[in-house]
Amino acid sequence: MSSQTTAINSGVHAKKADIFCQDEARVDWHSKALWMLREKRDRAAASLPEWEQLRQLGSEMKLHTLTHLGEYLETFEKNCQANGIVVHWAKDGAEHNQIVHSILAKHQVKKLVKSKSMLTEECHLNPYLESKGIGVIDTDLGERIIQLAKQPPSHIVVPAIHLKKEEVGDLFHDKLGTKAGASDPLYLTRAARAHLREQFLSADAAMTGVNMAIADKGAVVVCTNEGNADMGANLPKLQLHSMGIDKIVPDLDSAAVLLRTLARNATGQPVTTYSSFYRGPQTGGEMHVIIVDNGRTDMLQDKILAESLKCIRCGGCLNTCPVYRRSGGFSYNYTIPGPIGIAVGAQADDTHSIPWACTLCGSCSYVCPTKVPLDKIIHHHRRLKAKAGKLPYGKRNYMPLVGNFMASETMLNCSMSVARTALRILPGSLLKPFSGAWGKYRELPVAPKSSFEAWFNKNRGQ
Amino acid sequence: MSSKQSILNALKSVAVAPQAMPSINVSPRLDDVIGQFETNLGTVAGTLHREGGLAALQAKVDELLKEGKQVISQVEGVTGNRNAPDTAHELRDIDFAVIPGDLAVAENGAIWVNNQHLGHRVTPFICENLFLVVSADKVVANMHQAIKQISLESGEFGVFIAGPSKTADIEQALVVGAHGACSLNVYLV
Repeated sequence: MSSQTTAINSGVHAKKADIFCQDEARVDWHSKALWMLREKRDRAAASLPEWEQLRQLGSEMKLHTLTHLGEYLETFEKNCQANGIVVHWAKDGAEHNQIVHSILAKHQVKKLVKSKSMLTEECHLNPYLESKGIGVIDTDLGERIIQLAKQPPSHIVVPAIHLKKEEVGDLFHDKLGTKAGASDPLYLTRAARAHLREQFLSADAAMTGVNMAIADKGAVVVCTNEGNADMGANLPKLQLHSMGIDKIVPDLDSAAVLLRTLARNATGQPVTTYSSFYRGPQTGGEMHVIIVDNGRTDMLQDKILAESLKCIRCGGCLNTCPVYRRSGGFSYNYTIPGPIGIAVGAQADDTHSIPWACTLCGSCSYVCPTKVPLDKIIHHHRRLKAKAGKLPYGKRNYMPLVGNFMASETMLNCSMSVARTALRILPGSLLKPFSGAWGKYRELPVAPKSSFEAWFNKNRGQ
Repeated sequence: MSSKQSILNALKSVAVAPQAMPSINVSPRLDDVIGQFETNLGTVAGTLHREGGLAALQAKVDELLKEGKQVISQVEGVTGNRNAPDTAHELRDIDFAVIPGDLAVAENGAIWVNNQHLGHRVTPFICENLFLVVSADKVVANMHQAIKQISLESGEFGVFIAGPSKTADIEQALVVGAHGACSLNVYLV
């Protein structure tokens, strides 16, 4: 997101994808699992005749809010305070973590139950709190699995999508004492339920992310399928909610629009099992909301990047992305992988390779419920990297040559003619090395009889 | 300068030109809303009981009580064997909770539950199984209509509940019963 957020395990995308691609069967399995989500999403979207209208409304509403963000944030704060909610502001991840720690320290919290929040991942909250002696338990099943496996999430909605049930079984046997060799998802989920119930019942405080913050009510909306956010927030007396400044919506009506698209676009469900609205602490309790910038205002200074803040984190763009499905979440150098991860994380990527983890096919923009122009943003990131003189090593040298070459009609025509002849008469084994990484998984094309220009002049020309 | 002030200052220069708020006007599907609700509730793994009303529910509860189950009821006219305890944590052994819903949404099977009727906020989540009661004339077509009828007062908590809790975090296998209730039965009255 910004230089304030460090890249995770940095390494050039293609190299890290290579590691994932070593196990071809797993890649196919990963790709298929995510494509299944995409298909469910398509069915859910097609079942609503007003789907495109909802996307348009979502887009316009978010753009309206983003262009009046200061006013809405102040209204939100004022209304929260009137409802007995304590509001904090954090300019970056470090300040966010300090605020959270100061609240927890004041209440002598030893154990915090956390519901999935990509923002706290972005701020690296868990290791910070653990270093201060506070136990942090992630309570979404997928999050808990990867927390026990000491891994970051590989997807924003299904964070443990990269793991097989046998691997989860081994992990639970080791950490939770389930039967050796057991891999039945029902059995494992029940074991996690029992283990996490004990955590909920013994926690001193709870923390969740925020799906929407409603300005005119001073309320936050939290969506989960498992009920972990609500089991957390409603048992201990202290509840904390972290939100990016981009989570604001003007009113309940606008929240309803996003609630209709969020789950449909994420998993194909008509709505998440629980969509909870918190408008104040429970009797005798305390409720805190931490509003976080962490580079978002910087993004708003760029007309194209600003639109990435329309995102509602449904994960739909990851599920449809042909590159994400075949390279895995850990190849992106950022907490958020896939197209939206490139859009919001490319600037922090010190390998400068992430904007190229994309074929610009546009499928992500096509499925986005708030019409974030992801392919346009990713393309823009390539320009920004070039402008900053930060193109990856190879591209820096040959791209200007390619540019000159493509700009000269004579050179292009002449060499394409040579290429067609070469493809016809020379053996593939001789030519293939020239195709570089492109040819690694592809056959060389069959040369057309003539150039497109010649064909066009003959058949369609005047 | 405070962080709040520095964020607000930065927001004075957003690169995108101010956009107007669109008017939200989506046509509802009004044919057979209760039928739609039943179908969608089924999709989210809940079950609708259209006939019999509170009497049918009380009969079910009586059966459960005979089996020795712990049942708490927040619905007038339905009696269980447990009263609202002093602390939320004491609800940990509740097998069934009976709770009134304010309204139901046909397009997605969700029911709005308000904490004024919950005793402790955690009740619908901590119980092993959940019964919701909803008035047949409170079934609306879509979320736009539902949200217009919601009064979320200061200090309150409210939740749309669509089915029992579920997860698919282990190899995309759907498992009903994650941290919240393992089953949901809705009684129409």
